[in-house]
Amino acid sequence: MRVGIPRAMLYHHYGECWLEFMETLGVEVFVSDYTTSDILTRGTVHADNENCLPVKVFSGHMFELKDRVDLALVPRVVSEEYGTWACPKFLGLPDLARSLDPDLPDVLAPVMDLGDRRCLWVKDWYRTARALGASRLSAAAAVTGLLENLARHRLQSRAHVDTGDMKIGVAGHLYNVHDPRVSLGLLDRIRAMDATPLTVDHVLRSRARYHANTLSRKIFWSFESRLAGTVLNWSRSRSVAGILFVTSFACGPGSMVGALLEDQLGREGSVPLMTITLDEHAAEAGLVTRLEAFIDMLRYSGRADTRVGGAAVRAGGGPR
Amino acid sequence: MRLAVPRMGNLALIIRDLAVRFDLDYVETPPFSENTVRIGAALAPEFACLPLKAVLGNFVEVVENGADTLVTSGGHGPCRFGYYSEIQRRILEREGVEFRMLVLEPITTSLRAFYNSLRELIPREKASLPALFRELKQALDKMVAFDVLDKRAMALRGLEVVPGAVDAALAEARGMMIGAFTAKEIREARCEAEARLRGVRVDTSRSHLKIGIVGEIFVVLEPFFNFDIERWLGRRGAVVERATSISDRIYPRGRHPVFGYDEDSVAAAARPFLNHKIGGDGLLSVGATVIYARRGFDAVVHLLPFTCMPEVIAKGILGRVSSESGLPVLSLSIDEQTGRAGVETRLEALMDLAWSNRRAKERSAEMGVVR
Repeated sequence: MRVGIPRAMLYHHYGECWLEFMETLGVEVFVSDYTTSDILTRGTVHADNENCLPVKVFSGHMFELKDRVDLALVPRVVSEEYGTWACPKFLGLPDLARSLDPDLPDVLAPVMDLGDRRCLWVKDWYRTARALGASRLSAAAAVTGLLENLARHRLQSRAHVDTGDMKIGVAGHLYNVHDPRVSLGLLDRIRAMDATPLTVDHVLRSRARYHANTLSRKIFWSFESRLAGTVLNWSRSRSVAGILFVTSFACGPGSMVGALLEDQLGREGSVPLMTITLDEHAAEAGLVTRLEAFIDMLRYSGRADTRVGGAAVRAGGGPR
Repeated sequence: MRLAVPRMGNLALIIRDLAVRFDLDYVETPPFSENTVRIGAALAPEFACLPLKAVLGNFVEVVENGADTLVTSGGHGPCRFGYYSEIQRRILEREGVEFRMLVLEPITTSLRAFYNSLRELIPREKASLPALFRELKQALDKMVAFDVLDKRAMALRGLEVVPGAVDAALAEARGMMIGAFTAKEIREARCEAEARLRGVRVDTSRSHLKIGIVGEIFVVLEPFFNFDIERWLGRRGAVVERATSISDRIYPRGRHPVFGYDEDSVAAAARPFLNHKIGGDGLLSVGATVIYARRGFDAVVHLLPFTCMPEVIAKGILGRVSSESGLPVLSLSIDEQTGRAGVETRLEALMDLAWSNRRAKERSAEMGVVR
């Protein structure tokens, strides 16, 4: 039996944990290849046209699995933090995957509700493991391993490598930012311009949570809460020269959090913030032009500030 | 403190009732217009959904009319609705509008938060706790009555003998309800009002389509945004049923006194297609469509604001429900640029499809008899 995992959406968050779970069970796993234009086009054609870009990418990856695997693993991630929800798209993702095309492999959809009590969702993974033919013992071992990995994953933050003199905060969903095709190689482009890109997973969750709690109304989406906290952390500690808010077309939580951050950063007086919206038609030239302009502006204003001797802080939300 | 509450379907009727009950000073929110939407769309974030933009425009208008306290509802997700209040507050503050925003948290978030925000509106001097409870219960009963009248009118409109008779009767029936305040008055007025609707002459022998309406509550309930779809379908001889109503949404314990199927049975109906709640009205849209398919409806119209997160998921899943049950489902996504002609053309096509399905079914039934 071969189980496939689409390399999209929350695979970029929890992929390693899921892979290890499957390996412990001794199941052969097939992960779809990195996103290509073909995959993206197929997803755009088959998924509903109103879906956000990542869901279209996910749909394309589901079609990659067709005829190659017997089952597809699409965990239903309900929440990532206590008292929050994942985006509704994640809540309905397995059902959406089943509705895409009748010829697609069957979907395994164990629930992952990290913010809730384990007793409510862990048995789902145990049942999945048993359904894949594991013995009771190895199923239990795999589930324990999964929980340990998830706990470790929560405490980690990614270490960054300096590739330039200036740090740029890239605030966006990991599945957009870490997917070179979807983000049009955004991170590499920033590195090529002698700057160091920092992403949301470079900041500890606890720090992000601390800053997110200072907002006047709690953000109830798990990832967006972390993202907003990270941006506030960057902006308040001045650890980055500028922030790129990367969102995708029709991203629901992104539309709200983008407006919120723009307003909040504008009130606090912060480093410059630029919003980049990705969609399946996004072209490299447009992205590169804006990126160059943004980084040039940061460099120029940095130099100008040192000339007049100080005040690297500017009021206002910066350019959009 | 001059209150204002955003508009949504029958909500305006019940706000008027509450204002009389608790002696509130409130400003009637102007009905939605092109201008409302233009104001809202100019201020709101680009990808925010239509209800946010429309309500924002509504707030700006009502503050111009003299309101200083904007009452709105909170929420805890995962639908974007729960974060509206914060975004709208920040946008209005940025625009220099002077107001105070009072957010009524839903009971499911926190009973204490709900009670405290309610007490800011209705202080203890105006109503003691038992009185508050009693009055709210009666207001809820009245709300249910209004929604039930709507439901009956929708079922009759396609069959009326004299065009416009149902709407005239509905207006009269609502008038009877508006004056009722105590439990007994409400009970009696509801009987009388329903009798008034029953008195409308209908032609039950006329062959007609049965069409269900599901979708996001705001666009389903607000005639300005759905181009008065209930009446439009009714005028063309369709019997219409709507799965969403305000009283179903706020009725305690997930009972749906108007729709008639409680939360659990809706979830059970949706289970083969959608196995988890996805916020907003997503699960209800899928569940109600399955229920309508079982009840032999001819078509379902699914209304959603453009980019609505739960309903976009539901839209993808409804495609599968439709192909497995043979029930035509038309998803109409609505935003500030949707035009009446486009919606009506698609609805006409849906009705033609439903009629031809019906005739094909009848033909095959006849052939079955011959064999």
